[in-house]
Amino acid sequence: MDRKEEGLFKKAGTGIANFFKWIGTDIKEIGVTFAEGDWKTRVSYLIMGFGSIMRKSFARGIGFLVIEIAFIYYLVSFGWDYMKDIGTLGTIGEHKEEVLTKAGPMKVTVYGDNSFLILLYGLLTIIFIVFFIFVWRLNVRENRKEELLLKEGKKIPTTKEDLSSLLDANIDKTLLALPVLGIFVFTVLPIIFMICVAFTNYDYNHQAPAKLFTWVGFDNFSQLFSFGSNGFGGTFFKVLGWTLVWAFFATFLNYFIGMAVAILINKKGIKLKKLWRTILVMTIAIPQFVSLLYVSKMFANDGLINSYLMKWGWISSTIPFWTNPTLARITIIVINLWIGIPYMMLIATGLLMNIPADLYESARIDGANAFQMFFKITLPYMLFVTGPFLLTQFTGNLNNFNVIYLLSGGGPKSMKLSGSAGSTDLLVTWLYKMTVTDTNYRMAAVIGIMVFAVTAIVSLGVYNLLPSVKDEEGFQ
Amino acid sequence: MAKEPKLHKQHKKLGNAIAYIVLVLISIIWLFPFVCIVLQSFRSYDTELGGMVDYLVPKHFSLDNYKWLFSGDSQFVRWYLNTLIIALCVAVLQTIIVLCVSYALSRTRFRMRRALMNTWLILGMFPGFLTMICLYFLLKQFHLTQEGAIPGLILIAVASCGMGYYVCKGFFDTIPKSLDEAARIDGASKMRIFLTMIIPLSKPIVIYTALTAFIAPWCDYIFASYVAFGYSDSYNVAVALYRWVNTSDYQGFLPDSVPGACWWQFLSRFCLWHCSGIM
Amino acid sequence: MKKKVLSALLATAMVATVVAGCGSNSGTDEPATTGEGESADVVEGEGTDTVATDEIPAVGDDTNVTIWVAEEVSDFTQAQVDAFKEANPEYEPYNVTIESVGEGDAAGNMITDVQSGADIYGFAQDQIARLVAAGALQQVSGDYATWIDEQNDAGAAGAAKVGGTTYAFPITSDNGYFLYYDKSVISDPSTMEQIIADCEAAGKNFYFDISNGWYQTAFFFGTGCELTYDTDDEGNFTGCNIDYASEKGVVALKEIAQIASSSSFQNGSSVDNASNFAAIVDGTWDSEAAKKALGDNYACAKLPTFEGSDGNTYQLSGFGGFKLLGIKPQEDLSKLMFCYDLAQYLTSADVQLARYQEKGWGPSNVTAQSDSAVQADEALSALAEQLAFAIPQGNYPDQYWSRAESLGDDVKSGNINTSTSDDDLMSALETFQTDCQSYAQ
Repeated sequence: MDRKEEGLFKKAGTGIANFFKWIGTDIKEIGVTFAEGDWKTRVSYLIMGFGSIMRKSFARGIGFLVIEIAFIYYLVSFGWDYMKDIGTLGTIGEHKEEVLTKAGPMKVTVYGDNSFLILLYGLLTIIFIVFFIFVWRLNVRENRKEELLLKEGKKIPTTKEDLSSLLDANIDKTLLALPVLGIFVFTVLPIIFMICVAFTNYDYNHQAPAKLFTWVGFDNFSQLFSFGSNGFGGTFFKVLGWTLVWAFFATFLNYFIGMAVAILINKKGIKLKKLWRTILVMTIAIPQFVSLLYVSKMFANDGLINSYLMKWGWISSTIPFWTNPTLARITIIVINLWIGIPYMMLIATGLLMNIPADLYESARIDGANAFQMFFKITLPYMLFVTGPFLLTQFTGNLNNFNVIYLLSGGGPKSMKLSGSAGSTDLLVTWLYKMTVTDTNYRMAAVIGIMVFAVTAIVSLGVYNLLPSVKDEEGFQ
Repeated sequence: MAKEPKLHKQHKKLGNAIAYIVLVLISIIWLFPFVCIVLQSFRSYDTELGGMVDYLVPKHFSLDNYKWLFSGDSQFVRWYLNTLIIALCVAVLQTIIVLCVSYALSRTRFRMRRALMNTWLILGMFPGFLTMICLYFLLKQFHLTQEGAIPGLILIAVASCGMGYYVCKGFFDTIPKSLDEAARIDGASKMRIFLTMIIPLSKPIVIYTALTAFIAPWCDYIFASYVAFGYSDSYNVAVALYRWVNTSDYQGFLPDSVPGACWWQFLSRFCLWHCSGIM
Repeated sequence: MKKKVLSALLATAMVATVVAGCGSNSGTDEPATTGEGESADVVEGEGTDTVATDEIPAVGDDTNVTIWVAEEVSDFTQAQVDAFKEANPEYEPYNVTIESVGEGDAAGNMITDVQSGADIYGFAQDQIARLVAAGALQQVSGDYATWIDEQNDAGAAGAAKVGGTTYAFPITSDNGYFLYYDKSVISDPSTMEQIIADCEAAGKNFYFDISNGWYQTAFFFGTGCELTYDTDDEGNFTGCNIDYASEKGVVALKEIAQIASSSSFQNGSSVDNASNFAAIVDGTWDSEAAKKALGDNYACAKLPTFEGSDGNTYQLSGFGGFKLLGIKPQEDLSKLMFCYDLAQYLTSADVQLARYQEKGWGPSNVTAQSDSAVQADEALSALAEQLAFAIPQGNYPDQYWSRAESLGDDVKSGNINTSTSDDDLMSALETFQTDCQSYAQ
């Protein structure tokens, strides 16, 4: 482990060193280009694409020019207004103005700065600036390249050649441009935004547009880890603990029982294999939020299960499936089997058929019984092949919102837990409550970062331990 | 010596009997809630109210719930169409994007390729709900909330789907590169190879991608209700069902119609699965 | 290098789209952007008191008005809006849309995004401070405020105020709870002990929502505890008056645990969700459902008394609350005036009476209250009887409801039960009290 960590630090170190080296050479190159370049190149430093247009490479030149104009227009007309306030997130609060109406004087609300939009569009503007600098650098490099090409007496590629290369040599740019942009705007930007929110006091008391919020540094993180009366520390570790326990049981119980069911159906001599499979898979067909909500009501104190048990006289008082914390946790894990086994059964069925039959044959000749064959052949094979699948299942279960939210809603709550968390809340369901019910966005952002940390640690940690990663040929 | 096979046979018979018993038990457990939901859908709202009851078989069978669902009183038909539009658009667009991304990552090598894949991997580790409020306001800026919630939901689903390239890229990786090379020698461009060779070879993965994309919108109630709030014309089926099942105690409560609605979903999914040969 | 240039080129088009998208929206139709100029247009350069009556036309630029009301009254409201527009032809151009959004959701949605929220919306009174703090309520002043004070019962008029300023139009005075019961099962609905004994004997359920902060107070207020919050004009909570951590609080909590230990106890407060019940503590909005469920055995009563662990008899108390109709802050003064007039009409005596007749909602308007049909209503009279023991509901921070749920859940899960020692009960209540106090700044 030590060595690995050392390696990691070394890698990070060289990474940083390389980065600075790269910046250094880049700056040097920009200087050289300016010093050695002709006047067209030098004008291009200010008016992007000028050199390319003068050298008759119109498509590129105009492209650069359009980007520059669009960028300046964006900055002047929209971006700067927001970006200039990003340090304070706005200073003018809401106030009331009085107007005279037919019903007498009346106070009308006039909004001030909107911290939310300042942060959001401020970040967007910063990202655009970085992007612009990158394009500007391309523009400089392009000039340099064209000059060198001309010096060597070669021809600059024509517009037509440029465009047709987009369908061939540069097809990756064509295919990836749109998806990358989409991910950037609708995934990267929001994530950066929410990470920033973790360092502000944006919550129910500081709600845009009526109120301003501002930067508070690491206050939210210290609240998460403080154990005082108002701190989230005790609750956070309890929720985290249950999240891990849940993910463990939900993953491995489903895995083994699902595999057992698959083996059972695959057993020689069992007829109607397709029927059994269809019956199990039917549960997947009903949307989870309907079936789980129904099952949740079924197990309620006044639900179907309890009232039938009472009617038949099997119990004298109701079984508190959802109101007792421990029982609620067990019930959730058990009901999750109902959801998870069909999936696992489908996957396992496919894989089991792939195990080479001669392995079993030779084992049988050696006199192995069914159990030995399972533990020596089936299980190792399955674990090897499904290692990465198990890992994704595990991280998926860490964030399994539906099952928890629909079955117990995170409850029962307790005086021992703060921040409206309940005994069966996972970090994600807690995060959801904070966002939607409590509008406590700052703590939601902090918990979101924690969810990320937990997922990342588990994934990276386990990934390197997987047999199929260590030894790709292991089962050949 | 002659006894042993017989003993073995009996042993096997016993084993099979136990297996059948287990299978029947499992089937009962798995079908029970399903049957309950179906039975409940035939309960009459007028005489037995809408809520949870402590008996299984309805006292009066009626088709009221189904009638109500498709009558003008409920907006169910509209919500169903909304969902269908979303699901179809998402299925088509998402399939195109995932195919493009997978092909680019599988068959081309460019400088930022590893970095791009690693970044997407890391982005995938952030919980989706974290960014919900931010996405809402982003969409709102483009007028894609409330009245515009349907295109908005399509946009959100399609915008980030490139990150789910894993399965499809894995499939492309298994198509031998020698095919590409042969085509290159014949002078085909990469685009041509992609469109005329790779895609026809990957029918199963196209169906898989389209199906998973098609099914997801039917279950999205959290984000869909967050984006469409206060504008019932933009609800999808899931939002509507969830509201029926889970309305606060100030309002009426009609879960009986939920199973009716479910049937439609169930049928559409079931047909799709059968067509695609998953089952 | 050409690769990059071309990719950049490709991106330009898309960036331009984004820019165009953002740019075109920035100044047009958002009341709440940062642009300092546009949002202050209304009174710019004129200081205060300068926009005179005749300068406000009946119809301005913005003629779309959205109303959020609970699903059950959305058709009713539509009909009333049509009637209003017919009676006031000058408002004809306004395009009014009614959406079904429950009172609970309405407040949450308004707070998430005021701009996209409804112009007029119904909400339960406990949300008013939160809505004012989030800037989601327009002040009601001048003649309208006077009208509200004159026309409604004192409790309702008070509930529409935050720190002395009126913020909403009262719509009902029935947001309280009482007992629906089955005459054939419950022999005497006046004592808790009898109700539970009858339910247990008949194998029927008794529903009381003990993990809901709204119903839970019935016990604490019943034994004489206090829990109120002080607010300033801005809707901020400035102080908390609570004495749950006392002898009285322990008696109340013990009684809750006592009830929860009964085999016929069920947690809940919705007739639709209740099964096999003989008694349920619920409000007037469920009277139709209760009539249907109980049939000929339908009966209502005030909440029962109970015998505390200290031997004294206490009457269950609780909240008396109101439903209100609020207006979102508007920039277009013409639209604002229209909203005021419409809200006033929707909460006027005639409409309240019509709403009672069609939907059973108990009026807050004194004229409507004195109507003979309202006076004779069984559920409403049970409520009126109960309200004599109830405390007019003030404003409570959102976290209080969540904390109260925790306390109730602790009882349900058995963390707090009938055999818990007085010291442990006291320490639980002390934690609860400290938490409640911490919600006020």
